[in-house]
Amino acid sequence: MESLIISQMAVSGALMGLVYALIAYGFQLTFSTSKSINFGQGELVMLSAFFSLTLLDWGVPYWLMVPGGLLFGVFLGLAVERAGVRLALEQKSEGWILLTIIIGLLGFSAAENIWGRDDRPFPTPISADALQFFGVNVTPLEISVAIGVFALMGLIELFKRKTLLGKAFEAVSADRDAAELMGISATRTVMLSYGLSGLVAAMAGILVSPITTVGPTMASALILKAFSVAVVAGLDSGFGVVVIGIFLGALESLTSFYLGSGWREAPGLILLILALAVRPNGVFGKATIRKV
Amino acid sequence: MLEVTDLTVAYGPIEAVRSVSFTVQAGTVATLIGPNGAGKSSTLNALSGVAPQRCGRILLEGQDISRWSVHRRVAAGLVQVPEGRLVLAGMSVRENLELGAYRRPRTEVAADLERMEVRFPILRERRNAAAGTLSGGEQQMLAIARGLMARPKLLLLDEPSLGLAPLLVRTVFEIVTELRNSGLTILLVEQNARQALNVSSFGYVIENGKIVIEGPADKLRSDPAIIRTYLGQGV
Repeated sequence: MESLIISQMAVSGALMGLVYALIAYGFQLTFSTSKSINFGQGELVMLSAFFSLTLLDWGVPYWLMVPGGLLFGVFLGLAVERAGVRLALEQKSEGWILLTIIIGLLGFSAAENIWGRDDRPFPTPISADALQFFGVNVTPLEISVAIGVFALMGLIELFKRKTLLGKAFEAVSADRDAAELMGISATRTVMLSYGLSGLVAAMAGILVSPITTVGPTMASALILKAFSVAVVAGLDSGFGVVVIGIFLGALESLTSFYLGSGWREAPGLILLILALAVRPNGVFGKATIRKV
Repeated sequence: MLEVTDLTVAYGPIEAVRSVSFTVQAGTVATLIGPNGAGKSSTLNALSGVAPQRCGRILLEGQDISRWSVHRRVAAGLVQVPEGRLVLAGMSVRENLELGAYRRPRTEVAADLERMEVRFPILRERRNAAAGTLSGGEQQMLAIARGLMARPKLLLLDEPSLGLAPLLVRTVFEIVTELRNSGLTILLVEQNARQALNVSSFGYVIENGKIVIEGPADKLRSDPAIIRTYLGQGV
């Protein structure tokens, strides 16, 4: 019986961990092209979730809401790049750190004013009735999270490897100057990466909302853990964030089961500190060697 | 083709290139020679837009491009093959070539790829290999071919023979000669002064960020001061 409970905890935790992985992947996308990340990424998740919920309130069918919500995420990502990142990068300053935090705070206040402070349920046609696999309960809702995360990450990776635009994206990530000398605009590539990271954030919001409910603070815990996952895995390995995301999700769930839910946030922070102390480039990260 | 006036390149307070002026005639090869750290590469990098230009004017076919972004200059036909080659190590040879033609209509790229693979058989042979696994000489071929994929009007070659074995150095200069004979305009930066002057029609000697001697390449080859400093004995 004990082992069944453990596997139950681990599986539902791991599925939640995939959401961390997806958000962490959003950090990687912008970091690879511009060495900057959006510290207001959690607000993008939350705002996209609210926007999607509003679409549903207006009577938009669920499967039409999804592309609408994703598009809104892209729009938010582009807005963050234009307002908070581009100027700072042009000046070679670290101003994007503060600017993206500020934009996040603005988004938070906007959400409170528009949608209120209460958490609201997010309706979904996908069933939450548990199915049993080897005695472990999994809901179709949880499975949809896994499918959504893998599908989107897979599509983006395919885009980067198979299309010319995607290869240009990889070229800018590998060597900005070399890419520019081939006629690739680094600025536009950074824009693209912010758009994609907004898309990823919106997807995370749509996937996780039916499980967590939607509210202004829905992403504050999520984002901390996604950040841990990104740092622990390393900021350049998409495979790494999935592994670490699953690991952290399962670990959290087990910790809260054995030590009480107050300890839920502990593993993420401990892993983060450990990683920074022992492997600052991340478990799956490559140490960058600069030839001079 | 290219007309540079009073170009100054500075990294913070340090001026690497001070007020140099030179021209490159269409259909010819011009070369910048000089010792290490004289400002040769900084000059080229400013022309392509990678290095910060403090003042001066760069005219490409009569058009002032000095405020243009790097990629816009590439689209206009000014293409640099950078020092150290900067091939994308993780990508295949084929992908490197394709990206070289990033700004060109897709319909013309296939034919150019074919031409490059005929001219550089090694690139066909290693088509799917990661560029980082190529030898230094092969990477240099790839870097030049990648530059040509952009169909340059003016090709900037930065130290193409650097770090290569003598036999490969000869190959590189054979390629430069061939490109010149095909009518391409080239600005060549080299430490290998003798070979550079051999393939060029005009030369500039740059020292401490200033052009100190300039003239037709055959004149420079017989200039005693240059022979003593750059060409050594036995000319």
